[in-house]
Amino acid sequence: MSSPLGACSPILEARGLVKSYDEGRVEALRGVDVKIDAGEYVAISGPSGSGKSTLLHLLGGLDVATQGQVFFNGSELGKAVDLDTYRSRQVGFIFQAFYLLPTLRAVENVQVAMLAVNEKANHRAERAASLLEEMGLKARMRHFPNQLSAGERQRVAIARALANNPAMLLADEPTGNLDSVNSAHIMEILRGIREQRGMTMIVVTHENDIAHAAPRHIRIRDGRIEL
Amino acid sequence: MASQLSFTGFAWKNLWRRRLRTLLTLVGITMGIGAFVALVGFSRAFEHEWMRMYTSSGIDIAVVQSNLLSSSIDESLATKIGAVPDVVQVSPMIFNLMDLTPEVNALVYGWRANSYELDSLTLLSGHRFHEGTPEILLGDLLASNLGKKAGDMLSIQGTSFTVVGIYHGGSALEAGAVIMPLDQMQIIAGMEGKVTAFHVKLRPAPAGETYDEYVKRASAAIEAALPGTRAYPAAERAANNQFVALAHSVAWGTSAIALLIGILGIANTMAMSVFERTREIGILRALGWKGRHVILLILAEAAALGFAGGLLGIAAGWGALRLLSSLPQTASIVSASVSPLHLLESLVIAIASGLLAGAYPAWRGARLSPVEALRYE
Repeated sequence: MSSPLGACSPILEARGLVKSYDEGRVEALRGVDVKIDAGEYVAISGPSGSGKSTLLHLLGGLDVATQGQVFFNGSELGKAVDLDTYRSRQVGFIFQAFYLLPTLRAVENVQVAMLAVNEKANHRAERAASLLEEMGLKARMRHFPNQLSAGERQRVAIARALANNPAMLLADEPTGNLDSVNSAHIMEILRGIREQRGMTMIVVTHENDIAHAAPRHIRIRDGRIEL
Repeated sequence: MASQLSFTGFAWKNLWRRRLRTLLTLVGITMGIGAFVALVGFSRAFEHEWMRMYTSSGIDIAVVQSNLLSSSIDESLATKIGAVPDVVQVSPMIFNLMDLTPEVNALVYGWRANSYELDSLTLLSGHRFHEGTPEILLGDLLASNLGKKAGDMLSIQGTSFTVVGIYHGGSALEAGAVIMPLDQMQIIAGMEGKVTAFHVKLRPAPAGETYDEYVKRASAAIEAALPGTRAYPAAERAANNQFVALAHSVAWGTSAIALLIGILGIANTMAMSVFERTREIGILRALGWKGRHVILLILAEAAALGFAGGLLGIAAGWGALRLLSSLPQTASIVSASVSPLHLLESLVIAIASGLLAGAYPAWRGARLSPVEALRYE
């Protein structure tokens, strides 16, 4: 992918992001500028309604800004970069509510992400199995989400996020539905993934210890980054 | 080995999660396709049998009154038709559908005793009828249904007829029919001096002219000789006589309504399914599924419903045809045979119905914003 901003450009850059709802009456983001380098681990925190999840959604191409642009490797999302392709190939999402598909087994939930990129069927199954094994879920592959604990579900979701070998992991309150033991386990897994794969990781959290553990911590309040 | 998830497997799981709704939807499309297979199959088989009858009798042209559903022509015009070059034989005739018993109705033909059409029938017992006497011949299928044999009596429209023979004909329309002298038929039909049609036999086609060209030319010559009449080549008449036309109209009309109900059923199911799966579609979109992937998934589910409903409908329709062809009330006009092309056509219509019904829900699903869909409760 071309990089008009030069070799030193960040993997992700947001310029003047504004996101408003209700015909402009509610502003979730009020002009956010942020640069994230490749391989960086960034925590975004802030009180409820501060706009941290909205920022993550815009950076991940789940939503589009009312104003401003997001650049991935110097190319603008939604213009030079197709959002669907970006989400399928460059971004792995992890959500607080796991968002697994209830009718699919764990191993199928991982494979469903690979259906978007036309991966060969046997490769999909092998890779899904390998990722679940990596997550310590070898014995739980054929279980449905309602047969798994919350921590196991989130590990399936992490395996799914890694399915297409993305450049970045974007996690929205990944431990929000977990107890402290599982929270620590999930954060340990995420830390391990980043170290082993050198992936860029952005974690939205309202938990201070998770936020402070990240090398870079961005605070948001009232839709603006606190300096 | 971990289980593989395919696109079609995913679609199947989505359908199977709501088994009752899926089965009820299948019932709807099955009824639609079943009606199409049975009714349209019946009307086409009816037309085919008509053509077989014309072919086996050697009829080349049918002359009827133009612009009238129920034809009535002076019998005396037979002479004029016979004078047309290339015409070798003319058979004036009347046909009608009549009640023989409260349970059994049949096609009744009135032919002259010397009609060349009688030559195509195989007399199994008895002898031919005589003009001026209340005598009839029964097709073997009808005789069997009525339990009649040569020498028995049968009352038709209040007149008592003697069964003088049992014959076997080349088509189901003949096998299940009654044939009586034309003069007797004119009396019971109230058509003295009149006939429904003239069945014309031509000389062999001259060298250098195709059969179709020859028949068309001869038809035009007959129409020119007899203003106010229409001369149809046999194949055309087989397709457009009032019985076949009525059967086609009823078959297509009823099938269309049944299919529409089936399509609405699938559309309702798919719309409900998309509505219920809003968040799941949001998840797929968040994972990078393109709008066209979502459209394909929903259309695959709808097409699968159509396909399964099509197969069940074919089985149901064929079963209905077999049942009708075995009932004495309908055996004389219903054939259980269904052409493979008709079955293929039914399956294509079923799948197309599924795709049509799934189009709007699929389009709606594809337009869902990922983030809005994820927020959906």
